[in-house]
Amino acid sequence: MPAKPDPQVPMHRYAFTKLDDNQIGAALARVAATGPVSASPLSDALKGKSIRIVTDGDGPALAYRFTANNRLTLSENGGKAIEAGYGALVQDHLTLFTHLIPGTLRGYGVVIDNKSNIATVVEMWFGGYKDKREVMRVIYAGYVEQAGKPAPAARHVASNRFEGKGFYWKQDTGYETLDYYASVAYSHFVELTGRGDELGFCGPSDYIQINDDFYIYTRTECEFSGTFTLYVVDLNRQEQVGLRLGFDRTDAFEYYVFRGKGEWLGQIAQFEKLGDTSGGALPDPEGGGKGARRIYRPLTTMDKMTKAEVAAAVAKNRRVFAPRVGAGSGAAGMATHAAPPVDVLAGKTFTIRYDGGPVMDYRVESADTLNWRKDGGAWSKTRYNAWEPVPGVVMFGHLLESEPDHDGHSIVVDMNNGCVTCFNGFLNTPYYANEAGVRTLFGVIDGANIPKAGTLRHARTRELLGRAITWNYAPNLSSMHLYSTPTTTSWLIFTDSGSLGMQWSGPGDFVKIRDDLYFLYWLEEACNGTLGTILVNMRTMHDTGIGYHCGKEGLSMSQVAAHARHAGLFDVQRFFPKKEG
Amino acid sequence: MTDNRESTRRTFLKGSAVLAAPLAMAMPVAAMAADDRAVRLQRLEDEAAIRALHQDWLRRVNAREADMAGLFVNASAARCLDSAVCGVASAPGAAQGDRIELAADGKRATGRFLCLIETESRMAPDSTLAQMALAQGGGVSRDQTSRRVRADYVKTGDRWAIAAIELAEV
Repeated sequence: MPAKPDPQVPMHRYAFTKLDDNQIGAALARVAATGPVSASPLSDALKGKSIRIVTDGDGPALAYRFTANNRLTLSENGGKAIEAGYGALVQDHLTLFTHLIPGTLRGYGVVIDNKSNIATVVEMWFGGYKDKREVMRVIYAGYVEQAGKPAPAARHVASNRFEGKGFYWKQDTGYETLDYYASVAYSHFVELTGRGDELGFCGPSDYIQINDDFYIYTRTECEFSGTFTLYVVDLNRQEQVGLRLGFDRTDAFEYYVFRGKGEWLGQIAQFEKLGDTSGGALPDPEGGGKGARRIYRPLTTMDKMTKAEVAAAVAKNRRVFAPRVGAGSGAAGMATHAAPPVDVLAGKTFTIRYDGGPVMDYRVESADTLNWRKDGGAWSKTRYNAWEPVPGVVMFGHLLESEPDHDGHSIVVDMNNGCVTCFNGFLNTPYYANEAGVRTLFGVIDGANIPKAGTLRHARTRELLGRAITWNYAPNLSSMHLYSTPTTTSWLIFTDSGSLGMQWSGPGDFVKIRDDLYFLYWLEEACNGTLGTILVNMRTMHDTGIGYHCGKEGLSMSQVAAHARHAGLFDVQRFFPKKEG
Repeated sequence: MTDNRESTRRTFLKGSAVLAAPLAMAMPVAAMAADDRAVRLQRLEDEAAIRALHQDWLRRVNAREADMAGLFVNASAARCLDSAVCGVASAPGAAQGDRIELAADGKRATGRFLCLIETESRMAPDSTLAQMALAQGGGVSRDQTSRRVRADYVKTGDRWAIAAIELAEV
């Protein structure tokens, strides 16, 4: 049984060991003959039985003989029988069993519907994308052959009927998670028994419908440990039986079956055409080979720059709210719905005092030029843009060019009460120098005709926690945000059919400016390094935002704006007991 | 700058009308009837060949076949569509408005076809969202507009080929 909790390093920051065939093979050899461990008693439902599973297409024919509740023999496609250990668990009329194949790096997970004899076979093997520790899978639909009876016509099928659900799960191992199934191809999970830093992560997933009440779910922790999880969900009983296969962060081998008890978190909206229940919305990549599927690997694809490279790139090109014309101009498609900047700050002089942070003096020359100085230092002239999406609430942003970490301030000022919140982006963070870091600053503004805030401050909020909101940036560029923990923003991408597909996540922070007006960010850590800051108006269902990004093309600060729709709410407040503020 | 192709098309259409009239006046009645039938038959055969050529072109465009060899007079002429065009279909009810005009020499022709032009463009991978959309097999914007396809044809030997294709606003 794996040791919990894991080391105090976030999942996306852990340098997972590149395991080779010999290391993986040695670990598998130790358990292939005995089968998976289990905290709950294994089922003996299969003991003494012999079954033959036939799968469709190029799938295997598997002839099993279960000699005990943890021993079996298997003949694949009529080949020589091998002996292996296995473990089985039963949930209502469904039997889940799993085993490895001794001498190989692969095994099977099988779910049999004992009423219909329909079966789903999941072949699992170590041999991932570039890292052998990542478990690959291929799913075969099939059935258990019955002597003298025709094969059932129906199959378990990929479906979007599970999309939008969410569960809290507690395994019999004590492992607790929040599992959000907001996509048809990905899922988002929060390890409540992990570091306790309340960050959620994402992995490619499969959703196979057995019937309206039962589903098979899989998740592979790609970009992380590569661990594979498969479980059967009993929606009405809120129970699960499953298996877990992989190497954890300490390279300890995990192979176990589990039972779990769940709590319903809710159902959010789906956006496919009414009547469309199809799954598998993402087309398989061409020529990808066995088990290939579309997987988002942001750490692999992002620019990774040193501090010196960042300095050179920033010196070469800084673009602040520049016209969007081609590479390096910022996210061109993300401001199609943007409102024009305003000159409401032009001609004003004011000071922003951040609690425990800098004192920023401003002299604003025009609608796009201001002078700033930090802590009484030298004045600098810079380009800025400002918007007033709600009367009296101004959002503006600018770079602090002379700062060693190339800071950018994205600021929301409430002119009616003098409160200010700043998401202070900066570069030269410890992992990748071009990846943005961010600190949240609360403060006050002093200026003519602006009320004194006194001790009043904006405050962090959990009013967005568990919410899902769609964002349409441009034709064919829509996403959905899922605020899955008090410190996580997850984003999902719509497919052409309205299904939600790829999903990723990063740190987030959420500040209430006024009723129905929130200032939040998402930080693309280990994923392009962008800091996205948006002021969300829940009455107009429109946001006003600023993106801060550094790549090989330079440093940019650019406008972001999208139209919003409510997509629903997961009931997760009870899992995050900290108070607001 | 002048439009040479337009000038050429107008010139040969005018020429065809001029050439047709004297032929009709000079022939004896019986000979004229026989020749007229032959001319009409040839005209019908040419029109049918051009329509088949047009349909073949539509099929290859919609199948995204790179090889248009054999349909055009040369490789340069075959590069007639913007790379964003991914489909060309006859517009609903367009058949009645489609026209093929043969030149009097029977060696050139012009076709006009009302079509729906489908264009496709991949979004630039300039944001995380766009990169993810592309990675999942999406990120493609499609648009459909009505256009008049104007095609010039030439006949070499007994075979028709496309000399030029232009898309014009309706």
